[in-house]
Amino acid sequence: MIQLNPAEIKNQRRLVIVWSITFLIAFPLLIVLGLLMRLNQGEEIKLGIDTFYVLMTLHGLGMAGVLYSMAFAGLWYLISTRYVRLSVATGYVVYFLILAGVTGLAYATLLGKFGAGWYLLYPLPFKGTFWPTWSTGLSIISLTVLGVAWIIGLVHVVYALSKEFGGFTNLLGWQYLGKKEIKRELPPIVMITTISLIPGLIAFLAGAVFLIMNLMQYFEPTLAFDTLLLKNLVFFFGHTLVNITLYCCLGWVYALLPEFTGREWKTNKVLVYSWNATFFFILFAYFHHLYMDFVQPLPFQYAGQIASFSSAIPATAITMFGVITQLYHSKIKWGIVPLMFLLGVAGWAIGGFAAVVDSTIAVNAVLHNTLWVPAHFHTYMLGGVVLFILGFLFYLSHTKEEQEKDKTAKFGFWLFVIGTHSFIATFYSGGLRSIPRRYNDYSGIPIEATHSMGAFLARLALIGIILLLIGLMVMYISILIKLGKKNNTTVIQAAEA
Amino acid sequence: MLPFNTLLTIQRTAAITSFLAGALVVAVVIFLITTSSTSEDKTSVKHKVYKLRGRYFFVLTLCVIAGLFISLRLLPYTKFQEKPDEIVTIVAMQWAWKMAPGISDKSPADFEGSNEITLPAGRHIQFNVTSSDVNHDFAIYNSKGVLIAQTQAMPQYHNKLEHYFSEKGDYHILCLEYCGMPHAFMVGIIHIN
Repeated sequence: MIQLNPAEIKNQRRLVIVWSITFLIAFPLLIVLGLLMRLNQGEEIKLGIDTFYVLMTLHGLGMAGVLYSMAFAGLWYLISTRYVRLSVATGYVVYFLILAGVTGLAYATLLGKFGAGWYLLYPLPFKGTFWPTWSTGLSIISLTVLGVAWIIGLVHVVYALSKEFGGFTNLLGWQYLGKKEIKRELPPIVMITTISLIPGLIAFLAGAVFLIMNLMQYFEPTLAFDTLLLKNLVFFFGHTLVNITLYCCLGWVYALLPEFTGREWKTNKVLVYSWNATFFFILFAYFHHLYMDFVQPLPFQYAGQIASFSSAIPATAITMFGVITQLYHSKIKWGIVPLMFLLGVAGWAIGGFAAVVDSTIAVNAVLHNTLWVPAHFHTYMLGGVVLFILGFLFYLSHTKEEQEKDKTAKFGFWLFVIGTHSFIATFYSGGLRSIPRRYNDYSGIPIEATHSMGAFLARLALIGIILLLIGLMVMYISILIKLGKKNNTTVIQAAEA
Repeated sequence: MLPFNTLLTIQRTAAITSFLAGALVVAVVIFLITTSSTSEDKTSVKHKVYKLRGRYFFVLTLCVIAGLFISLRLLPYTKFQEKPDEIVTIVAMQWAWKMAPGISDKSPADFEGSNEITLPAGRHIQFNVTSSDVNHDFAIYNSKGVLIAQTQAMPQYHNKLEHYFSEKGDYHILCLEYCGMPHAFMVGIIHIN
């Protein structure tokens, strides 16, 4: 355990509050974009087709970026106040670079009408576009700035941890696999951070290659790159980004849940095997995005399904059973933080199962790019990652007693959970009825059953979205009132105790 | 070859298994919350949960192996054992489908075909799918609106989708890969006689 003086803790706390406030502003705005999209699909409002795809692009890029950034910021705070000194200045550099990247993307989409979707599926940004060329260039540059910021941040964290814990292999927990005595215990959050961020680094580098190739195409339109290669690069980047966002948050759960149950959660041999296996599953699961590219080499298709199926073993047998061990007969007081973490793990489990279903090649043939896809990732992002983040924000803003007694926040929480799952249920129903995703509306579909069902489910989704937004606002009031008031050192003292 | 009512069963199976898995998760959450007021020593809890975990690990590993073994035999890539009865060239473009019988030796941009095509029922059809501009997705829907088969239409590559139409009727082609503004209006039709 590092010894930090109160000023250092205060600085790290100020940094994470800046991150949190930014998240709290951006998140509901991005939800409103989703609400507008469902209103349009439900034929309740009439957006221009170009406007719909601009909103879709900003919603996708914005959510993925904001959620990963907040997940990383939470990790940064917990690690920098417990295990290793991290540079606050570097933290602000990362923050402002991300802010610059996000501002660039907002400008390119809202004013430049850039609407190629989050994945800029090559060569779409350069052919048959409805937006001016400069907004394609600005989007590529803004994404590059984001990638650079994320790389600086994660390299700083992993390097500092590696120095503190005596080498990189120690961060992976390999010292637990031998017979030597363990000199310094490895907190699970440190191992999970490493196992999330290293694939993250590889994916961000792949993303950088993808962006550089796009930038070359932007400056030299006669170039023609291999479409399958670029598709692999962008899905490797995107899939891994979303995947590690979730794993970063699980790192917090390992670190924070024991504070509420009073039961320690330590690294051991089984945990090391489990998370080291996860390292490889993170890297290879992305192939499941390319099953419908029949020309993709067959071993990659097999790898995608095997990695996706296998990832369920460590996820459920180790982490979920770990949560059960923490909570079963624990006499825990159900404050909002442990409730958020438990329901977040449940969201991850349900969304994860739906993901495994879709990662079955034979099933993917009839579910790929239907509403089943947004169904499963909204389940583990909105019903998982967002609950982990909100749990962290309550942890940051409330004392242990306050979060137990805050009935208003708990009311908001249940409203949010009910709203989220009702909203997502409409996506699952749509997927099972073959409703396509990424359609501005369903009026062009000549099959009446598909058109009317798509529009009906979109209208039904509005109830869930409104409920979850109200729940979110109720929780916001509670978080924002307490965030400025709390004694700076309470969190750290509680953690050490 | 799977007829489309069997494919519909795949979607139903996905729905049922996902619902059951979701219900199990909810049951575990309710169980954990309702039993948490009791206090038990951590070592004793660990002992009980780890025993259950050992069994769960064994069963899950078996399920994963069995699931892989069964499902990896049902790949959509090469369905037919024998040569296809008909080959159809499909070229996707922003924002229409060009379809014509036979294998084309023309470049995708020069290829000429129609948004509408008639094919025989009860024959093994191979769709040779490519694109002349950006990525699209050639998705076949039956008259009830059920997605029965799909493959990506990619520039520079040819994906071969094989399908056996056991029932006569009109099948619609929708694009399932975002390809620009009128993506949701990129429709074709296959008449099966």
